[in-house]
Amino acid sequence: MAMNRRDFLKVGAGTSGSLLLTMSLPGCAGIQSGYSPETGNWKAGAWLELTKTGDIWFTLDRVEMGQGTYSGLTTLIAEELEVPPESISVRFAPVAPEYRNPLFKLQLTGGSTSVGTAWEPLRVAGASARQMLIMAGARVWNVNAGKCTAQDGRVVHPNGIDSVPYAQLVELASAEIIRGEIPLKPRSEWKLIGKSDKRLDAVAKSTGTAGYGIDVELPGMVYGVVTRAPRYGSTVLGFNGDDVLAMPGVIDVFEIERGVAIVADKYWRARKAQAALKVEWDESEALSLSNEDVFTGYREAAEDDAGESERSEGDFDEAVEKAGSVIEAEYEQPYLAHATMEPMNATVWYRGDSAEVWAPTQGPDLGRIAVARMTDLSPDDVTVNTTFLGGGFGRRLVQDYIEEAAAASYRVGKPVKLIWSREEDTQHDLYRPAMLHRMKASVIDGELTGWHHQIVGPQILDWYVRNAAPAQYPWAPKFMYGTLGKVGVLAEGLATPKDVSAIEGAIDYPYDVSNIDIRHTHTDPGIPITWWRSVGYSHNGFAVETFMDELAHEAGQDPYEFRRKLLANEPRHLEVLDRAARLANWGEALPEGRARGIALFRSFGTYVAQVVEAGIEGGAIRVYRVSAAVDCGQVVNPQIVRDQIEGGAIFGLTAALYGNIEFRDGVVQQSNFHDYQMVRQYEVPEVVVDIVENDEAPTGVGEPGVPPVIPALGNALFALTGKRQRSLPLTANA
Amino acid sequence: MAVDLRVNGEDYTLEVEGDTPLLWVLRDEVGLKGTKFGCGAGLCGACTVHLNGAPVRSCSTPVDMAAGSEVTTIEGLGQPGKLHELQQAWVDHGVPQCGYCQSGQIMSAAHLLQTNPAPTRDEIVAAMTGNICRCGTYSRIVAAVESVVGIVEPSMQEGA
Repeated sequence: MAMNRRDFLKVGAGTSGSLLLTMSLPGCAGIQSGYSPETGNWKAGAWLELTKTGDIWFTLDRVEMGQGTYSGLTTLIAEELEVPPESISVRFAPVAPEYRNPLFKLQLTGGSTSVGTAWEPLRVAGASARQMLIMAGARVWNVNAGKCTAQDGRVVHPNGIDSVPYAQLVELASAEIIRGEIPLKPRSEWKLIGKSDKRLDAVAKSTGTAGYGIDVELPGMVYGVVTRAPRYGSTVLGFNGDDVLAMPGVIDVFEIERGVAIVADKYWRARKAQAALKVEWDESEALSLSNEDVFTGYREAAEDDAGESERSEGDFDEAVEKAGSVIEAEYEQPYLAHATMEPMNATVWYRGDSAEVWAPTQGPDLGRIAVARMTDLSPDDVTVNTTFLGGGFGRRLVQDYIEEAAAASYRVGKPVKLIWSREEDTQHDLYRPAMLHRMKASVIDGELTGWHHQIVGPQILDWYVRNAAPAQYPWAPKFMYGTLGKVGVLAEGLATPKDVSAIEGAIDYPYDVSNIDIRHTHTDPGIPITWWRSVGYSHNGFAVETFMDELAHEAGQDPYEFRRKLLANEPRHLEVLDRAARLANWGEALPEGRARGIALFRSFGTYVAQVVEAGIEGGAIRVYRVSAAVDCGQVVNPQIVRDQIEGGAIFGLTAALYGNIEFRDGVVQQSNFHDYQMVRQYEVPEVVVDIVENDEAPTGVGEPGVPPVIPALGNALFALTGKRQRSLPLTANA
Repeated sequence: MAVDLRVNGEDYTLEVEGDTPLLWVLRDEVGLKGTKFGCGAGLCGACTVHLNGAPVRSCSTPVDMAAGSEVTTIEGLGQPGKLHELQQAWVDHGVPQCGYCQSGQIMSAAHLLQTNPAPTRDEIVAAMTGNICRCGTYSRIVAAVESVVGIVEPSMQEGA
């Protein structure tokens, strides 16, 4: 990954890289850089545009779903460009190769990758523009550019008195050519990175003016709803279309891929018509599983198939033999829904020879494919306008809701806003998979000598390639989409064809143990799944860190000290563990009825340790305090880091306390927030966050706050009650 | 049927079916998109508005029940060109993450302060418990409300 900045420019000039500053990009798909005499605007590469009138536009190519890219990535530009972040106007990126996430080769926001992947290129983009503006200023004054500086949106003369605003230099600067390395500011000169505590979207989001997908309004727009089969995999046999068509405002009723769509002139009329719709389903191929069947299937699979070896060190069986006994435990985690506050929705306008999409999506290029798939258009005919997202958590990486809106607009020839109800959102999600973990360990004289972890369950790419593969090859003819989906995402990008979604966090087990055997038994019950905030780490965290706690108690040791001594070679793990323990006053007495639990997990390159202080009050689990320490390398916005770790902890606590999507005979039993509960204000613990300062490369914080809090709470409950809970959600009556 | 509504000080006569939830009337007929659809069942609070000064879940309030009433939405808080104290506090405390629930949160907080100008922390928590935030901005919400009532904000890092 590491490139020096000289390479960046070189590479950029030869490929579709985004750092071209003065020359046009090849091909028709790219973002044209350069100065436009007509508008007086200078497009300084893919991300930055400066105008003669003093506007600065930043094209944000990682969507804003609460995780803070809108503020964080803008700060990177502002730092190097030497302008206040508030002076930059942010727009969401269209689909273009320049905006692909380099780690996925797709235009995705996910995997806590935004700050890590933007860190170098955005600073280079800001610094390049700054340098070219300085060179232009120096040319005007006929002075040495090396003696000029940039400050608060102006180039300053070597005399330190005269200055000229960027706006007046835009045209000249666009013609400058930087030779040699782009001068990035040294850390000692940062004014914003690591200091900025602003949320640039806070005003819009506090006044109701931030535009989410559901807020899109178009002339002549109509509304769509879809009745989907209660059992996944059903097909439509028939429906009472005439009855529904006779309802007020109904424009059309028709079958689409997953059910029956109704389009009406008003949203509420579409919903009322839906109540009158009766669909007969063919359920011969439909899902008929219940949760128990899923876990029975997992156990059978685990017996039949020891699984693919994912990591093997030493000889686990020999370790067990030497120990003379083996400690075993089995952990279960349920399906979980995403429950974004903004339900799935999209607006598509099919216009015959083109289409436009407005949607809250984590993958705009996948959204384009979704429209092409449902219409007679090719991806190039489709424009995607990304909006603010009312939560994402991985759900909006899948574009089924855009497909539905596209199918509806294609049918009625009008712009259609298609909105899911909360019930539909809960019952027709693609879930965090239920998983089974079989753990074994050997301990000799209090020392952990062997670790065995068998992960049993599906993996996500099996479900995702259908969407992702064609998006990587938008030039591929549509008849190949199916094939591409089957072949998988190979040549580019996700080109590590290895799907780690089931095993991440397990294979990077950090503790110093001589004999390690980690396996994945790949078995898929056929229930739709996708990424869910922290993905594989979300379930592996619970299994690994609960079992570590069990082993500590088995060895008669303090769970914090037990972990500590196995982390002598893992300084970053150790640092956050120590800090969290200190923050929580680990070892000091607590009031009667309270106990602490500790857990530590590295995910997405970020290290998080959490200590949960919990009790049981009135028959319910009560979490009083979460003490968290985080090491995410260099910090761009400390407030956002704190918010994400705190928000992640609350997201994790929601899963630990309530999260459970139950299938009964193939039908999801939960429907809305009364039976799929979220942590609410009255149960929110105090969360304190300690951020490690270091010079390591920055890593993401959107997800890493989730995994450790779940086992930390379970471990606290064990300390309180002496009863070990090995399945989620946790209960007060174990 | 025609329904008369006064929204944020302006009078509207709207041609809608009487059972249409106030939420969709505000969003799609009046054109005020700040009030959000979250659950359709009065469970999450994202659609909270004030009806004659009292907070209601507009997703579960048929518009004919609101006929002739005065509705205040997030757009009606504050003065033109000036944020309401709560909105300013939300900005100062950097409350919103995804932001989708915040209109409803602010409307709930605004009603609390109208009826109880100096709530305790427990009263704030109780008043805000009907509003779900999936991003987990809860502690900043409490801090923002407290800052408006003039309670000294404890440091983020202090113990309980």
